[in-house]
Amino acid sequence: MSIQISNINKRFDNFVALDNINLTIPDGELVALLGPSGSGKTTLLRIIAGLEEADSGTIYFNGEDTTATHVRDRGVGFVFQHYALFRHMSVFENVAFGLRVRPKATRPSEEEINERVHKLLKLIQLDWIANRYPSQLSGGQRQRVALARALAVEPKVLLLDEPFGALDAKVRQELRQWLRSLHDEIHITSVFVTHDQEEALEVSDKIVVMNQGKIEQIGTPEEVYDRPTNPFVYSFLGNVNLFHARVEQGSLHLENTELNTPDLGSSKEASLFVRPHEIHISIDNALGGGIEAKLIGWRLVGPRVRVELETVHAHQKVEAEISKGEWQAIKAHENDTLFVHFSNARIYTNEASWNDYVI
Amino acid sequence: MQTEHRLEPRWLKPLLLGTTLLFLAIFLALPLGVVFSEALAKGWKVYWASITEPDAIAAIKLTLLVVLITVPLNTVFGVATAWLIAKFEFRGKGLLITLIDLPFAVSPVIAGLIFVLLFGSQGWFGAWLSEHDIRIVFATPGIILATLFITSPFVAREIIPLMQEQGKDEEESALTLGASGWQTFWKVTLPNIKWGLLYGVILSNARAMGEFGAVAVVSGHIRGMTTTMPLHVEILYGEYLFTAAFAVASLLTLLALVTLVLKSFIEWRIGKKRLLAH
Repeated sequence: MSIQISNINKRFDNFVALDNINLTIPDGELVALLGPSGSGKTTLLRIIAGLEEADSGTIYFNGEDTTATHVRDRGVGFVFQHYALFRHMSVFENVAFGLRVRPKATRPSEEEINERVHKLLKLIQLDWIANRYPSQLSGGQRQRVALARALAVEPKVLLLDEPFGALDAKVRQELRQWLRSLHDEIHITSVFVTHDQEEALEVSDKIVVMNQGKIEQIGTPEEVYDRPTNPFVYSFLGNVNLFHARVEQGSLHLENTELNTPDLGSSKEASLFVRPHEIHISIDNALGGGIEAKLIGWRLVGPRVRVELETVHAHQKVEAEISKGEWQAIKAHENDTLFVHFSNARIYTNEASWNDYVI
Repeated sequence: MQTEHRLEPRWLKPLLLGTTLLFLAIFLALPLGVVFSEALAKGWKVYWASITEPDAIAAIKLTLLVVLITVPLNTVFGVATAWLIAKFEFRGKGLLITLIDLPFAVSPVIAGLIFVLLFGSQGWFGAWLSEHDIRIVFATPGIILATLFITSPFVAREIIPLMQEQGKDEEESALTLGASGWQTFWKVTLPNIKWGLLYGVILSNARAMGEFGAVAVVSGHIRGMTTTMPLHVEILYGEYLFTAAFAVASLLTLLALVTLVLKSFIEWRIGKKRLLAH
């Protein structure tokens, strides 16, 4: 089932939660709504579900206007951040709930309910705890039960509100992959809200980056990560080094180096965004064009080394992420003046953005 | 316990314990003993006669009637208010919460007077009521109204924090799963608050039976007609019928003891629930 969101607006008193949102989610896709808190992503999800009412605008499911349809008739499965399992019901009863509350005419028989619940519990690999209560489960198990409960009513759309936000790092990692493979199996149109860029990049078919009630960019994980349309998206999707530079007569001046940029025109402020892993450090500036910097500190982060530097001219902090091998070479060389190179940088001026510069 | 670091002097705990026990002995155990020993001072026969004489029976019946009407009404009112406050956002919510507590803050005598001023023969609606031959003050409706007012906060007070703590996630879940509002209430909201609700009902019940001040003002003390059990005790006591007074009082005391036992049982249940939830 495709979802079409058309001109949705929502205010809470003076706070604009959603500012004229337009978005189409194709059938069978897994889409992430990614943004910082207060960006409106959860509000949008709740409006799609019918748990919240938009001030204006229309929601279409498969081209059909569902704006006025009550949440209980919308056929959405909703998964909450804090699971929202019925605490006084066993796992089995939680999953069976959606079937049991149906009117007599459409309610499945007791055997059918039994069969369907067990099938779902098998799907989430928790068939063995059907008789336990939510308080006896771990966070990861609870969220899987919540998902099974949402799927039990055979929703046309699955909506997940920060589904892994309350879990610890390792479980979150596991559940992410599990959700991805589950989606590959059942292909239900799914929208999940997250503030974790890594989660969005790893799980989704498409990412919708939101900020202050607006959509900043829509694209596949690769598009959004490699070709962010604006500085916000760039800095939100991962760590970033920001340099301010000036473009004069076709060349960009940054610290002690200069870059030939005829396309950028003249007399302009420019911002350079460089990700830590796009920075190389050389000892001797053999390639030329390196920015002079001093070593300030370093930290081992798993298999990589995070190095902190400060440029000599503008005293700007630079964060680089390099391999252990590279780091060994730098450490061996005791001189603390080093040279910073960018393997890739993205330049934004007021009018346009430019990619793929090597300094 | 060997490694426990002492922050207070050794004598503090026994001293506090002793003070508490002494206080309880003087103000609880002793009176409790007095009530029952006085009630039974002239033997079981007199005791039985005291609680079965027509006026006593009438007082017990009236008290039960008041309880049967006020407790269910306050339960419905309490649940509805708590639901409103916990699950909806609106202007003036803080004020409403304060208003719910009002009967706790107002002296029961004043509460009774309010009804006399409203519905008494000289009151605002007095003329209209007597025209239509409706008696409220110095009759059962007045007693019920006064008791309703006094006991209205108990249920609401008890379940508002409970419902607020639980949030609306479970209700919203139920709705997305296709449950109607009614189904959601019976299958999700109510089971989640049942112990807190029962606790509120028991407190409300105890207070409804025992209320004196407000009821005394609106009752008119017509023996066998508008006297509840506490009023009946007072009348008997005023007439120096000590044994009879203590006999009826012992019934109220028994109720208090039953309430205490139920209360601790429910507290224990809630405690266990809490433990499980974490």
